[in-house]
Amino acid sequence: MEIHLSHFNTIYFSAKMSLPLTLLSGLSYMGILIESLSILIISLLFFMLIFLYNKSINEKQHEKWRLIAGLLIRKAVFHDNEDNPDATVPLTARAESLMHNRHFRQLVTEELITTKKSLAGMASENLKHLYQQLQLDKYALTNLKSPQWYVKAKAIQELTLMELKDVLPKLYRYTNNKNELVRMEAQSATVQFYGFEGLRFLNVITYPISEWQQIKLLQQLSQAAPVDVSIDTWLRSKNSSVAVFALKLARSYHWFQWHDTILACLEHPEANVRLQAIDCLCEIYTDKTAAILKSRFWQEELEIQLAIVKALRSIGTEDDAPFLVSLLAYDNNEMKIYAARAVTHISKNGLELIGISASASGYPLNEILAQIKGELAV
Amino acid sequence: MNWPEVFHNLYMYGFLLYSALLILSYIAISVLSIAEIRNYRHKNSFTDYRVLASSTELPSMSILAPAYNEGETIVENVRSLLSLHYNHLEVIIINDGSKDDSLSRLITTYDLHRIDYFVNEQIPTKPVKGVYKSHNPVYSKLTVVDKVNGGKADALNVGVNIAQNKYYVCIDVDCVLEQDAILKLAKPFLENTSKRVIAVGGVVRIANSCEIEGGRIVKVNLPDQFLPRMQTLEYIRAFLLGRMAWARLNGLLLISGAFGVFDREIVIKCAGYNINTVGEDMELVVRMRRYMEELKEPYRVNFIPDPLCWTEAPASFKILGRQRNRWTRGTIETLRMHKKMFLNPDYGLLGMLSYPYWLFFEFMAPIVEFIGIILFIAACLMGIVTHALVLLMIGVIILGILYSVFAILMEVLTYNQYKRNKDILRLLLVAIIEPFVYHPFVVWSAIRGNIDLLRKKNSWGEMTRQGFVGKKPVG
Repeated sequence: MEIHLSHFNTIYFSAKMSLPLTLLSGLSYMGILIESLSILIISLLFFMLIFLYNKSINEKQHEKWRLIAGLLIRKAVFHDNEDNPDATVPLTARAESLMHNRHFRQLVTEELITTKKSLAGMASENLKHLYQQLQLDKYALTNLKSPQWYVKAKAIQELTLMELKDVLPKLYRYTNNKNELVRMEAQSATVQFYGFEGLRFLNVITYPISEWQQIKLLQQLSQAAPVDVSIDTWLRSKNSSVAVFALKLARSYHWFQWHDTILACLEHPEANVRLQAIDCLCEIYTDKTAAILKSRFWQEELEIQLAIVKALRSIGTEDDAPFLVSLLAYDNNEMKIYAARAVTHISKNGLELIGISASASGYPLNEILAQIKGELAV
Repeated sequence: MNWPEVFHNLYMYGFLLYSALLILSYIAISVLSIAEIRNYRHKNSFTDYRVLASSTELPSMSILAPAYNEGETIVENVRSLLSLHYNHLEVIIINDGSKDDSLSRLITTYDLHRIDYFVNEQIPTKPVKGVYKSHNPVYSKLTVVDKVNGGKADALNVGVNIAQNKYYVCIDVDCVLEQDAILKLAKPFLENTSKRVIAVGGVVRIANSCEIEGGRIVKVNLPDQFLPRMQTLEYIRAFLLGRMAWARLNGLLLISGAFGVFDREIVIKCAGYNINTVGEDMELVVRMRRYMEELKEPYRVNFIPDPLCWTEAPASFKILGRQRNRWTRGTIETLRMHKKMFLNPDYGLLGMLSYPYWLFFEFMAPIVEFIGIILFIAACLMGIVTHALVLLMIGVIILGILYSVFAILMEVLTYNQYKRNKDILRLLLVAIIEPFVYHPFVVWSAIRGNIDLLRKKNSWGEMTRQGFVGKKPVG
């Protein structure tokens, strides 16, 4: 382990070396410098002490505010408005006056969001009403216009979590925003509100969708009712991340109807799309898929060749064993391991097939074979 | 102007220029680190790590933990690693020819059995004596490799050869990781769409005096002992300010060997860790960057400021001296191996800024300080110390303290690990006394590192640990 530390004292000692400093500035300038630095340190120390003091005061105040917010939220959760849907949650005078305080509003919003995440049904709906009653939605809509990306993104997240569906048109326009976080939150919002139909932003976005965002969207979609959507346009999108995401969707939801279009992705100019297509074909395949993958093998780079062999392990049949055995002569140990594993997986006589291979008794195949025998025994 | 005068002026203005540049670099580091931490924390506030934790789409990770004579603590440390929250994880412990009973303890505790395993030696290493897996499905993630002793770099290379996954996490086996540490380190690899992330580093914090239970930090305390407490401030300054600033510029040259994630494919293409240097962690990052620069491929080396990894800091001058000696030798060796990049515009920021900074302000700083001390003593003996010099000396000390106080302020405003106000005040006290009672020792250790390198002394230096086991605070 290594860290490298600041060498501020270097200045100190190097300064010591410049002995004839009187040539430079004279005592008065140095004095001013030291005084300024000392004042700066004292100011910083003072600031820290004030900060620590304020922090402890604020913590106590926040505890009190948290109690008020908690009470308000509890009232809302158990509020019975069946007879009168427009009935509001009664606010105490203290709570009402505190709503003018930005920090209190922020705290109430955070508490509302946290509670809402763990509730459903009427209680959740009541919290949404409280959010609107406190006009927190208006503040969030104002924040949407903020020039600061994180304020904007936070507002989108807040409106989404509060399920204010009618603001979606306002949010949708941010799905291709130049700021990554803003567009991520807007994309999540449309999926949150409309599930698979909300993915229509994929038709228009020009910015790439990060893998992280793809994970998030897939996670959100897993909560929505599955709907067959047309991924044809997405698979052909110029935005390769859209194609990758569409392939992940097809794989997750086993959309066999897109098999042929997915096969066409094997011709995609970008390797990551081809890799994803192969991964997808492990789940969506016909009796011709393995042959098509084999036919592409020799045109591909090593990473994709390895992915093909891995795929053959899942979807291959006895017919593919000779092809895989031929790969044992490949000048790459990783390929040898993958091919040997695939052969033993798809063929009952896999071990024998490898055994009769010319190089099976020599290194490294003998060791690979021993390892695979061990794996099969477990 | 006569020659002595010319020499004298060159010498004087040279040092003034050096000091001015160093001050400027501290100001730049402070500003950049504020920007980067702010940006990271804003971005992180949108992250729900529960989404990541439950996802099957996460990139697979291998933890590589080399162990040498860690018998006292290894069983508990491995248990802690196995309990980390991450879906696609394998834990590889590399027993680097330990002379103690590390291996037998692991075999007994985790029901390990030697298996036939083909080691695909993509990076040449010392021979592997055996690979062990558990028959107990609870420990299916665990692989233990026993090898002939070859040093940390060699052990890591074995780990890289054996790892099955796209990324690997390199850690010291005695470090304590936060449960979500791997999740947080994985995220930068998933976020970047325009540049390939080749490595991500994380903050290492001092665990001495912290309360540890079941391989987890349950209470953070400021170390009680003198040296660990001094190092706490040093680490805050180095990680929270230095690393974050360089990460902002995408100019980071060092990811601590105690805690970092690497793209395995790039590491293999770069031929793995260099066994001929004691600074294998820095050397690897520099070589990976150099490789990407030469390929002209866009890449990033990221750093995240969350306190995720806790380590035991040396509590004795002897051990600390060895450690700093080794770090110095590692830095010099790395800089020497990659001298081609120095002020070479072909290497962009790496050659024009990162490398020169390390050369002038990391490698040369202790030498300059040391020579300064000698000359100052000589000047005192000769009675030629001026008032201006004394004032400047005080000014520079104050500036150093200011930098430390700023680092503490950043800590308080961001992660605030030391909750008690008393601890913050103690840290402030450390900032004030550090330049007088601790820093000179660090400088002396660095000088010894230089001397050892000149004498071609390449030992790693034994690092005796006190261990984390038990509920009681360490140290």
